[in-house]
Amino acid sequence: MADAVDMAIVDKGIDDSIGKLTPERIESVIRRVLDKESGARLQVYVETCVRCGLCAEACHTYLSRDKDPDYSPVAKVKATLWEMTRRNGRVDGPFLRNAARIAFTECGTCRRCSMYCPFGIDIAYLLSTVRRICALLGIVPQYMQDTTNAHSVASNQMWIQQDDWIDALMWQEEEACAELPGALIPLDKEGADVMYSVIAPEAKILAQLIGNMAILMKAAKVDWTMPSADGWDNSNMAMFSGDYEIMGRVERAHWERAVQLRVKRVVMGECGHAFRGAVYDGPKWLGWRGPPIPMVHAVEFYYELLSTGRLKIARKITEPVTLQDPCNIVRGRGLHDKLRYVVRALCEDFRDMDPRDEHNFCCAAGGGVINCGPPWKLSRLKSIRVKAEQLAATKAHTVITPCHNCHSGIEDIIGHYKLGMHTKFVNELLVKCIEMPGS
Amino acid sequence: MASFTHGNITIEVDEDGFMAQPEKWNNEVALALASTEGVTALSEDHWKLVNYLRDYYTKFGVAPMIRKLCKETGFPLKTVYDLFPSGPAKGACKVAGLPKPTGCV
Repeated sequence: MADAVDMAIVDKGIDDSIGKLTPERIESVIRRVLDKESGARLQVYVETCVRCGLCAEACHTYLSRDKDPDYSPVAKVKATLWEMTRRNGRVDGPFLRNAARIAFTECGTCRRCSMYCPFGIDIAYLLSTVRRICALLGIVPQYMQDTTNAHSVASNQMWIQQDDWIDALMWQEEEACAELPGALIPLDKEGADVMYSVIAPEAKILAQLIGNMAILMKAAKVDWTMPSADGWDNSNMAMFSGDYEIMGRVERAHWERAVQLRVKRVVMGECGHAFRGAVYDGPKWLGWRGPPIPMVHAVEFYYELLSTGRLKIARKITEPVTLQDPCNIVRGRGLHDKLRYVVRALCEDFRDMDPRDEHNFCCAAGGGVINCGPPWKLSRLKSIRVKAEQLAATKAHTVITPCHNCHSGIEDIIGHYKLGMHTKFVNELLVKCIEMPGS
Repeated sequence: MASFTHGNITIEVDEDGFMAQPEKWNNEVALALASTEGVTALSEDHWKLVNYLRDYYTKFGVAPMIRKLCKETGFPLKTVYDLFPSGPAKGACKVAGLPKPTGCV
């Protein structure tokens, strides 16, 4: 049985809206998504699944919840999309309330289960389809909906105004120049080799990560730029809230800015979902064949700079470190070997997790789960005990997390399970380890 | 939703420890919230940060950019982390009685 405490969690974004729905509206929205938006792909998945249950052992929520069958991926689909399909959209409020809880808070769309499915069924896609239905019905966790609203109004997920964005960059340029003279942040430089884009929390809260990048770019002599206007935020919470209309707008704005600046490629900061949105989900929704300009994740960029000698390591981190594999750049892009190359270049005592690489467990924060906010925090942490055990077994002091959701999610795990570790982005270690020009 | 008691006061907080009813904030509440962040006493510098956050939030309904916080208080980023080890968003904002920021945090 699913956890009774979690089933009783009240979330205004879900509970307040459900009462306003009519049976007709529910049915028409579900039929529209099932018939018009998901069509053949969904049909193939539903008909191919033989209910073998191999996905269960792959899922961190199932393993962390003492193998409660209700937390297996197949059960999550059965309790949501299969029933919606079987009943032809004729489901009620309590059913939808539970479906929203499952789709938004018990699946991080990490796709580990798809790897263990004998048919490779994209189970995360099925649960994303449930989120899509919820979004069209207006039942989305309140904290998550706020980020989608911010994307819609301010073109970034944290309500940042353009003057504040530019001010943050100019500030970080000063900070970077104090560390390495000439570490400028060139704005809107047309034709640059690289446009660097970040997610809004870097500008709002973790601005030092932008300053660090300015140092790395200067040290590696990269011809780069950052955009001063809309399109600078590469994150996309609408992709996870199920508001694909806004998701498309966000991705279009990001790519249009890059094309307008005529840059040769886009390098993005240490975030996983932003990579997925820009490279896969966004272009697909927009009907494009792919991104108009090559997109390189920070991890791949660091690998390139280190392996070609453009950045040189002067000193290494000595304390024991371990490494989280972010789903969207490891299972989604295969960057695990390059990531380990970078970590081994920077750290003397690297202790890998078990399982690792594309088999590593999710952080339980991605896919928008952490963005569902405080009401769901304890539920999330109950669902990720396996990660706590996996981290503790490494006896590392630092967990390297090249993704913002992994970073915050693992910080929460460390706090809740009292592991006494701390999390770091790669960029924070790089600025400590590289040889500064002229030194 | 949970609550915790510090001295004579009881505060309702969300699962992340942020105030459930930010309008009930006062100096005594700030001290109680600080205790959950490993900050046992609030110095003049702590209050300068907390009061700035509180004023900004009351005026605009959101937390300020970290840039604004540093500029207006005159503190470098390092000092903010020295004062509130869990950082400006999860530490200082919590003590100032703001709700948890939305987004990837």
